[in-house]
Amino acid sequence: MGASVDDAELVDRFPWVQVTHDNKHLFRGWLDRKLLIDRCDDCGRFHHPPKPICPECWSSRITPTEVSGRGTIHLAMALHQGAPAPGVDYAKGPHPVVAVDLEEQPGVRFSSTVVGCDPSEVEIGLPVELDWVERYGSPFPVFRLREGAKRGGKG
Amino acid sequence: MARRNPIRDRVAIVGLGSTEFSRDAGGRSPAALACEASIAAIRDSGIAREEIDGVVGALEPGAPRPSQLAAMLGLSSVTHHSSPMPVAMFGLIDAMAAIFAGQCDTVLLYYAFTRAPWNSRSAAQDPFRRYLAMNTGTAKPPMPESMDPSAAYTTWASRYLHEYGASREDLGLVALNMRANAARNPKAAMRKPLTMEGYLQARMIRDPLCMLDMDIPVDGADAFVLTTVEKAKAITKHPVVIHAATAGMVGPNEEDQLPSLARHGQHVVAEALRERSELWLEDVDVFFPYDGFSIITLGWIENLGYCKPGGAGRFMREHWDEKRGAVMIDGRVPMNPHGGSLSEGASRGTGHLREAVTQLRGEAGERQVADAKTALIGCGGFFFNSQGAILRRL
Ligand SMILES: [Zn+2]
Repeated sequence: MGASVDDAELVDRFPWVQVTHDNKHLFRGWLDRKLLIDRCDDCGRFHHPPKPICPECWSSRITPTEVSGRGTIHLAMALHQGAPAPGVDYAKGPHPVVAVDLEEQPGVRFSSTVVGCDPSEVEIGLPVELDWVERYGSPFPVFRLREGAKRGGKG
Repeated sequence: MARRNPIRDRVAIVGLGSTEFSRDAGGRSPAALACEASIAAIRDSGIAREEIDGVVGALEPGAPRPSQLAAMLGLSSVTHHSSPMPVAMFGLIDAMAAIFAGQCDTVLLYYAFTRAPWNSRSAAQDPFRRYLAMNTGTAKPPMPESMDPSAAYTTWASRYLHEYGASREDLGLVALNMRANAARNPKAAMRKPLTMEGYLQARMIRDPLCMLDMDIPVDGADAFVLTTVEKAKAITKHPVVIHAATAGMVGPNEEDQLPSLARHGQHVVAEALRERSELWLEDVDVFFPYDGFSIITLGWIENLGYCKPGGAGRFMREHWDEKRGAVMIDGRVPMNPHGGSLSEGASRGTGHLREAVTQLRGEAGERQVADAKTALIGCGGFFFNSQGAILRRL
């Protein structure tokens, strides 16, 4: 689906971010429910957010590469108030936001929310996996605590 | 290791002007506030308006551009003007470099702050502030999951608590310190006494940070006049000079990609400042750690070397002056005696700079640190606006 969406429509479908030549693959990937993280063809290192070159070796041969979306919560907070979004109701409880260290290359992180659990269960160190919800009519990547992840666990 | 620092003690801060910092400046625009502070600073310096040949003003939302301020002030011959990014030291560094390089001799450096519709309920009612919401660059507000700097400090605060087993009380001590000090600052926006109990009961905004961990949006302006040390000495026998100043950044520096709490912009600042300075912690009489968010203050205390990583809470307890209700390092060095951004108001470090100069001039009244000669400022946070300066009185 992402491939069939032209650049103008792509920009229109993600009005809350600045879609650019350098990051358009990331958002096209979302339309296909794929998390594509930039990877260098020359040295094999991932980087995020998307950049025109590899910060490691300066190669401009970058391939947006699908990652598993599995990883470990590195940063976490619970928003008691914040920007509005469909399906986010701060009155019902805090909204968790996490930065996840991706298992393909720890240190490269992807940030989103965690669904399918009580916000109080979200803790640094827990293993998560990728899932998708709808936001403004487009797929939006989120995380879910991985099977076996328990409160107090250290992933 | 020493680094070369040819600018050391060569540029002086000779003029100070400030409005009060309030949660509502009535119908006054940021331009009006900038004018008031600028005129006060120029008058304070004793330098004639005609001699102001540099204008540097931070790119704060709503603040007048240097061209606009120069027009309002009727500056007749300006050879250097620029608009550095916000957080105070970028402007200071640009101004001092321009003077030292000979681009100009005397700079008016100004900062104006205005509450935005999204961070103040009363500001949201003011139709003249609507323009501040127009230019955010995107058609819709960011997603709740956007890691903008303000949200990201909260996530690194929780990382800090996780890594070091620190407590919210450690963050609370920062808030208590600022509030107790602000009681002696008539310009401060928040002067009501604060207890740890009050801190722990404050409304949670982004867990683990509550509203008292976040600086308070204000209307206000600060202005400074900088010139060559030679010119300063003709005005005063003991001018306040910039001994060393620096910015600091690592890569990656995106909010959620920062390598770790053990290596970010504050560490680069600490190293660069130390290597460019003849003065260090034992020489410091008054300490100004930035406190836009309480977690940033813990970072500065540790990363400048007052204590080990994770030890800032313990450090503050060990150096707590019960009578004062605030930190007094070794019983003599206060931390943000003006109340910082948390209690004086969110001036993004200009309050820290103004109070540093005020202290070194010996003009801080009941807040005065006896015979203060050296001030250390750790400004900005972890990502891309870490900065620092050492000021001294000659
Ligand atoms: Zn590479």
